[in-house]
Amino acid sequence: MSERHIDLPQGTLDLLILRTLALGPQHGWAISERVQQISSDVLRIQQGSLYPALHRLERRGWIAPKWGTSDNNRRAKYYELTRSGKKQLKAETESWQKLTSAVAQILESA
Amino acid sequence: MDADLHDEIRFHFEKLVEKHMSSGMTREEARRRAGVVFGGEEQMRQNCRDARGSKLAETALQDLRYALRAMRNHPGFFAVAILTLALGIGASTAVFSVVNAILLKPSPYPNAGRLEMLWRKGPIAVIPGIEEFPWSGREFKILTQTSTAFQHLAAFKKDTFNLTGSGEPMLLEGVRASGGFFASLGVQPTLGRTFTADDDQPGHDHVAVLSHRLWLTRFGADTSIAGKSIALNGTAYTVIGVMPASFVFPNQEGIPPFLDLPQETELWIPLALPPNPPGPSDMGVIAEPRAANAALVQQDFANFERRMGQQFPGYKGWTTFAVPFSRQLVADVRSPLRLLLGAVSVVLLIACANVAGLVLNRSLGRRRELTLRGALGAGRGRLIRQLMTETMLLAMAGGALGVALGEAALSLVRRFGPESIPHLRDAGLDVRVLAYAIGTTFIAAVISGLAPSLAATRMNMVEALKEGTQRAGGSATAPRMRNALLIAQMAMALVLVVAAGLLVRTFWSMLKTDAGFEAARVVTFELPLPLPKYADTARMAQLYEQVLLTLRSTAGVQSAGIVSNVPMAGAPDSTVIRIPEHPTPSGADAPYANYSFISPGYFATVGTPILRGRDFSAADTLTSMPVTMINATMARTYFPGEDPIGKQVGVGMTRIPTRTIIAIVADIKHGSLREEPAPEMFVPYTQNEIKIWPSMQAMQFAVRSKGDLAAIGDSVRQAVYAVDPELPVAKFAPLATLVDNSMTADRFSMLLVGAFGVLALMLASIGMYGVISYSVLQRTPEIGIRIALGAQRREIFAMVLTQAVRLAAAGIIVGLAAAFATTRLMMRFLYGVRPTDPITFAGVALLLLAAGLLACYLPARKAMSVDPLTALRYE
Repeated sequence: MSERHIDLPQGTLDLLILRTLALGPQHGWAISERVQQISSDVLRIQQGSLYPALHRLERRGWIAPKWGTSDNNRRAKYYELTRSGKKQLKAETESWQKLTSAVAQILESA
Repeated sequence: MDADLHDEIRFHFEKLVEKHMSSGMTREEARRRAGVVFGGEEQMRQNCRDARGSKLAETALQDLRYALRAMRNHPGFFAVAILTLALGIGASTAVFSVVNAILLKPSPYPNAGRLEMLWRKGPIAVIPGIEEFPWSGREFKILTQTSTAFQHLAAFKKDTFNLTGSGEPMLLEGVRASGGFFASLGVQPTLGRTFTADDDQPGHDHVAVLSHRLWLTRFGADTSIAGKSIALNGTAYTVIGVMPASFVFPNQEGIPPFLDLPQETELWIPLALPPNPPGPSDMGVIAEPRAANAALVQQDFANFERRMGQQFPGYKGWTTFAVPFSRQLVADVRSPLRLLLGAVSVVLLIACANVAGLVLNRSLGRRRELTLRGALGAGRGRLIRQLMTETMLLAMAGGALGVALGEAALSLVRRFGPESIPHLRDAGLDVRVLAYAIGTTFIAAVISGLAPSLAATRMNMVEALKEGTQRAGGSATAPRMRNALLIAQMAMALVLVVAAGLLVRTFWSMLKTDAGFEAARVVTFELPLPLPKYADTARMAQLYEQVLLTLRSTAGVQSAGIVSNVPMAGAPDSTVIRIPEHPTPSGADAPYANYSFISPGYFATVGTPILRGRDFSAADTLTSMPVTMINATMARTYFPGEDPIGKQVGVGMTRIPTRTIIAIVADIKHGSLREEPAPEMFVPYTQNEIKIWPSMQAMQFAVRSKGDLAAIGDSVRQAVYAVDPELPVAKFAPLATLVDNSMTADRFSMLLVGAFGVLALMLASIGMYGVISYSVLQRTPEIGIRIALGAQRREIFAMVLTQAVRLAAAGIIVGLAAAFATTRLMMRFLYGVRPTDPITFAGVALLLLAAGLLACYLPARKAMSVDPLTALRYE
């Protein structure tokens, strides 16, 4: 099963987390599941880096934590995008698109 | 926070297990798989913590736990360090709270921030350095007519009132003040009303406002006192109000000597100046400007001076100036406080240096522990932070104990400090003092912790671990820093002890100084005469003569005399004089002299030698030749190189005839033993040609007893009452007490700086002891080898002493240089000793050397008795 997975390029984890949270508040488990699903199982987030990333984003004020109950009534920590998180998402999305289109151009022309 | 993190991860873990189970695994299998993914859970948690930046708070807690544990394990070290810091912080907190009470506390007068005291300034200063000269009634009247810049202007002067009627006659010191007095200070009475401009008219002025204390002590706190009548100087006055206890203005606090004011004002009476008031310059003036505009005030002064110049050409050269009220009232005590604050800061620094040395020694002892922790990955910053936490804890304990010590010291100061320092009794803990103590504690922690932490953690790990034995004393920085700390302590202690020594020498010179009188067996008192009964100088002189005669025939009395002011009872009147033989150009350099009335026999009574010529006698009367005696300073100043006897001198007013000088007497000091004598002339009280001379109304008596002073107190009073039972005997005190009182402020600074000096010396000795005993401990193996190789024990002893002497000498040399440079700053506290007095410097240097040697006696003995076998076993 591991051949189909690729590791995340440096710096994209934050972007993916922010993008996932743009759909609505989620807990860490759901975030990793959703990324895996949407990318049709190609991208997989390492748990070891997910939680430190979440805490880092929280400290920067881009996401805010909130304790709630999950589907089967267990205590779970939900994260939601803050106002500055939305701005950050927009900025990172733009720069990501610039980067990928530039890389794509180079790859095509070569 | 940790629990939350745990929950969060646990939740994820279980979700993962569920997922695995839903894909067909057994629970066991699912848990195992999930566990593999979560293998590094602890690592992840640490990463999360790092991501949150929570490190500081947690490690601080950890450090605190370490520090507390260390405190339990090394009670001796911590006790000494805490006590040292407590002494330093306590002393400086106590001094600061005195400064706080005296300099920083708001005045009890609501308007004090805006008020100014106005003064006249003559063409030449009568006493160098004191420019403030009081106002005459005439000047004040013209000021009120010309002034526009002031909302309120008020004049006041001291007066004494004989209260009769109920109980014994009682002499009250009070103040006559003009109508704007209470309005400008902005203080409300607790009872009744204060007087206004309407009461300040001749004929309407028989009203009195009482002080809180007088109301309590004499009138039994009678709440219906307003409207009642009391008899003052034989005239009926209506009491209209009572002031609050905090209202004590004016008194002599901060007021320059030319303006005589009560020690404590007991009542206030309207001044009621007539349209063209005569009289001397004896008034203070307070003013509240309409706006904070110095230019307007200057304009006002210029207008006033122009008008004065037009009406009274004799006032040429006089100017007017204003001093902020709040500054005026504390001016006198400001600089001694700075001296004390400086001295106590030095003590605090010494304490910090001492503790820094202790902390350094301790951290060197823990070198292996620190090195090991460094090797295991603790950063240098982390190690420094841990050491600093320990010092901070130390300082906090020291600070808390220090505040307690400071409060204890303050209660002593409040009890025994001189009465003459205003608000000293108010010194105590408040928010500001506590804030200062906390700030001091923090600074002390940084000073005493940072340097040793830096030194102890600067290490070459490999070297340290390799030779991590007893012999590895530490980096090269550590001993150098330890020695530097000790040298700094010795040097600072030396400066402080030199300062204390100079103050002691000052006090000694004051005691030894020739004050011009002999205080032993002399008792003094004042006899103020009620005005209507003794209306003119002739009647007054007659009464005084009667009392003198009665006194002289009283058993136990050797001699008696009267004078305007006995020594140490305040400045006498002074006046412009003229010397026909040496006319001076009008205006500028008019000669001045103190002008006192005395009786024959006065000089013999107080023991002032008549250097040449004869004493006054009963034959010197209004009808005989006018005569005067002058003091040595006056002879030297105005008759240089001549024989003044037989020459003429007179007061400035030309209509009063000059007097013939018949004698020269020794200089008498009036205000303080440290003052430079001023020219003074003495006139027989029986030859007073002016009908009403204010100082004649309250002459002072000096009585010399044959034996014990205590025995004649009563008979002296009886002698006075025998002449007139209504006379109040005021200010009854032995002359020696007056001398003593005049020295309280000097004694206070001397004792405090002396105490700080002793403290500094003790701390520096402890520091020396610490350094030497640590070095002996370190060198034990070396000493063991030396002894094994045949060194004499005496030589070992000498070796340790040499090390101590070298350190002490370095400290003494640095200290001498520092003292040489700084003692100039205390010039104004010194008398009869130069700021670089070689005897003091040499004596203190020796004292410090002795203290240093004494401090290393024990460690040197220990070094001497090192057992080579035990010592070498350490290797």
